[in-house]
Amino acid sequence: MDELKLGPVTLRNRWLLKGFEMLDRRLAIKELLDEEVFNKLAPTHLGIFSCFGGITFFIFLMQIMTGLLLMIYYVPDTNSAYKSVVAITNDIPFGWAVRGLHFWGANLMVLTVMIHMGKIYFGGIYKAPRELNWVTGVALFLLTMGFSFTGYLLPWTQLSYWATVIATEAPGSMPGLGPLTKSLMLGGPDVSQITLSRFFTLHVIVLPASALALLTAHFVQIRTQGISGPM
Amino acid sequence: MKKEVEIKHLPMEEKNRLVAEGKMHWFFPNHIVEQIIICVVVFLILITLATLFPPTLDEMADPFSTPEHIKPEWYFLAPYQELKLAEKLMFIGAWAPKVIGVSMQGVVVGLLFAIPFLDPNPHRQYAKRKIALTLGVLGVLGFIGITIWGHFS
Repeated sequence: MDELKLGPVTLRNRWLLKGFEMLDRRLAIKELLDEEVFNKLAPTHLGIFSCFGGITFFIFLMQIMTGLLLMIYYVPDTNSAYKSVVAITNDIPFGWAVRGLHFWGANLMVLTVMIHMGKIYFGGIYKAPRELNWVTGVALFLLTMGFSFTGYLLPWTQLSYWATVIATEAPGSMPGLGPLTKSLMLGGPDVSQITLSRFFTLHVIVLPASALALLTAHFVQIRTQGISGPM
Repeated sequence: MKKEVEIKHLPMEEKNRLVAEGKMHWFFPNHIVEQIIICVVVFLILITLATLFPPTLDEMADPFSTPEHIKPEWYFLAPYQELKLAEKLMFIGAWAPKVIGVSMQGVVVGLLFAIPFLDPNPHRQYAKRKIALTLGVLGVLGFIGITIWGHFS
């Protein structure tokens, strides 16, 4: 192999070619790259409002990165949580930036999800054959709200504590499953250490894993159903 | 518009023709570069907000002192205000405000899930979707309205 054509790119470097060949023999990456990257077409009719799904995904990835960095210093313990957030903000190098990015990312993500849903609704894109992808999207929207709800408690401030007390009161007063739902969320009658542990687990494990699974379903469906055409 | 899987398996000559006619462009580098630019702009917006408007930090939680004013974040103002409005249903019975208030939110979420199955209209053109568009505009204005109401109440 003297040269390798990958779309507009031509590889001639001997070592690169050798490495590529080595991988290609084992993983058949040439075919995959051609199909999924280099010989792939993308639509040109899309305007700025069509980008909000992608923008939301980018912010979600940013939230994972900044969230991981915050988790290195954050302590999910009622006595230490607040102090650890103060330390992240004031003492740890660039902690203020990481926390600021995570905070604004969370707020902006809710907004971009809403704009994305608006575009899909007003563009009539949820119609056949994309009904189930709308359903997947609404589930992802609810997960986003779940992220906001659980993440809000974690700094363990007056506001986050009492907002959680009030927000869990409403479902708790429902007949039937209400009290059970409330005690499942809080782990007891009040917002306590168990609540903080549960919200932390939801926020950093359960919700991200669910979101990644649903996002996969969301993207695979776009693959199968295609990008909707112009009106 | 063809499905992405169908476009994927078009012969190369066909793909080149679509690009030459301007109907589509290459995923790499055209589309990727666009996406990178958008990501960079979003990152710049985020880092600017984080620098100029850093998140504040309230006092540490104290389970024994309830603060006077508790307002949720902007995205929860609508359900918050809806629950407050439902308190007016007290005349039906003491159970009514919470039960109806919370159930209504369940109904809204249910409707949101069901939209594609409730809308029998196959057309996408604005002119042929008057009912869906009117309901959509009313829904958005209602959400914004009740959010602002929640903010000032």
